[in-house]
Amino acid sequence: MNRAQIFEKVQEIFRDIFDDQSLNINDATNSDHIDDWDSLNHINLVVSIEKEFNIKFNFNELSGLKDVGAMIDLIVEKIEK
Amino acid sequence: MNEFVFSDIHIGLEQSFEATVSADKLDKFLEISGDNNPLHINSEYARHKNFPDRVVYGLLTSTFYSTLVGVYLPGKYAILHSIDIKFLKPVFINDQLKIVGIVSYINEAYKQIEVKAYISNQAGVKVSKANIKIGLIDE
Repeated sequence: MNRAQIFEKVQEIFRDIFDDQSLNINDATNSDHIDDWDSLNHINLVVSIEKEFNIKFNFNELSGLKDVGAMIDLIVEKIEK
Repeated sequence: MNEFVFSDIHIGLEQSFEATVSADKLDKFLEISGDNNPLHINSEYARHKNFPDRVVYGLLTSTFYSTLVGVYLPGKYAILHSIDIKFLKPVFINDQLKIVGIVSYINEAYKQIEVKAYISNQAGVKVSKANIKIGLIDE
């Protein structure tokens, strides 16, 4: 799975979590850009991504992420391991 | 009250308890919620709608999911994040209910667990099921 394919799946997850099929994310998207991106929805995002890609994150990895692009890079790194 | 901490939790961990809903509890739920729909408070109306008696409020039965989380799984250190409930069959006064929860997912990063839960009646029929997300605040 390449980065673009991962991005597409992550976009679908965002649309599901925020219940907005018109939502478009990009690498620079962060919680300032989506009104409903609160702490509980952040956990929902992380859990959905873990399940979709069959990976696990630890707290330190997640706390350093600044935007969607960094999250995608982390997913790529974990899938390649 | 159970006091499971995050490190105690594993996939498949199961807890259950039994409960019934008395007519008195329906009256109290009416007082609290103000839901005076006749299906819940008028036996004659309920029978006219082909139910054997008045139907217990779905959200009254679902209060047992709160008990499942706050008292049994994980118990003391729970903080409820969300419940997604589906009502499958009606519940009636004095039904013997069994409430069951099984841990189905563990998120290590944010100490959140997911519990698949259901409530069954004395005939073994599932009356509702729920997906519950719970945070652990043990540390």
